[in-house]
Amino acid sequence: MTAASTSTQVDRYLARVRVAMRGLPEREIDDVLHELRSHVDEMGAEGVEAALDSLGDPLALAQRYRSDNEMVRAECSGSPLAILVGLRHASRASTGRVTLTACYVLGYFVMGTLWGAALEKLVSPSRGGLWIVPGDLSSLTLMVGGAPPAGAREMLGWWVVPLALLAGYGVKVLSDRAAQWWIARYRRTTSVI
Amino acid sequence: MATDQAANANSDPELDKWEVQLRKGSLELVILACLWSGRLYGLEILRRLESDSDLVLSAGTVYPLLARLKTDGLVQAEWVAGDSGHARKYYQLTLAGRSRAVQMARLWVRFSTGLKGSLSNILKETRA
Repeated sequence: MTAASTSTQVDRYLARVRVAMRGLPEREIDDVLHELRSHVDEMGAEGVEAALDSLGDPLALAQRYRSDNEMVRAECSGSPLAILVGLRHASRASTGRVTLTACYVLGYFVMGTLWGAALEKLVSPSRGGLWIVPGDLSSLTLMVGGAPPAGAREMLGWWVVPLALLAGYGVKVLSDRAAQWWIARYRRTTSVI
Repeated sequence: MATDQAANANSDPELDKWEVQLRKGSLELVILACLWSGRLYGLEILRRLESDSDLVLSAGTVYPLLARLKTDGLVQAEWVAGDSGHARKYYQLTLAGRSRAVQMARLWVRFSTGLKGSLSNILKETRA
């Protein structure tokens, strides 16, 4: 094999790693690729083939860097998107990943509903709020669109606005913290390979 | 992959899996142990692991693990221009890394010593 063709082979391998790592900070990608190239150069005597074999499939290699990096970002960042991405790696089984993601999204759905109820009260004071038909606990309704049940009376008045905002924020924080705790726990108890 | 050619000698695939898991669990410790006496670059670490602990690991296993140890603040890395014409990324333990290595080594020894009693009975009987 000529020097030119081995160089092309290495370039092609590293290009595939780079593509698979897309989305991570450029500086980190460059550092990883620099190290991988240094490894190949170091193995010079034993051959490029052996070096690339030892590094393995470029996509699997990039995935190892990527999953750890994304879990760390999810742990450190308060961004829901970073947490969602981190959750994709936080279980071995796909059903586990789907369940975790669904629970997290549900948390945000509840937050949205509570904040929607606060907004409803501000936009439409006569319909918004927490309503109950006297003597029927099951009729308790937090109005987000639609009309209150017949014969119902409002329970909280304007207090529903700060309370719903606060409860929504609490659910959001709880969802974020629970997801970050899970990701951190999973990362610490799982090998990178 | 690589924990790798570890599980080579067993005829039972279940035993192979168990051995792979066992070795995976010890990877962090052996890499920290490898760096105990000073800074090393990736290929040196791979060769040291092979000679000192009989662990034949692939580069594709060790480099991401080193990146994780760096993220966790257990090792630090620096690029050093070498005589060979290309730079090498050297890793060395941080204080936190040294402390973790000591803790892990103690745990490992305590665990294996604890197991010794039970295992010696098994081995005694199979020898007899």
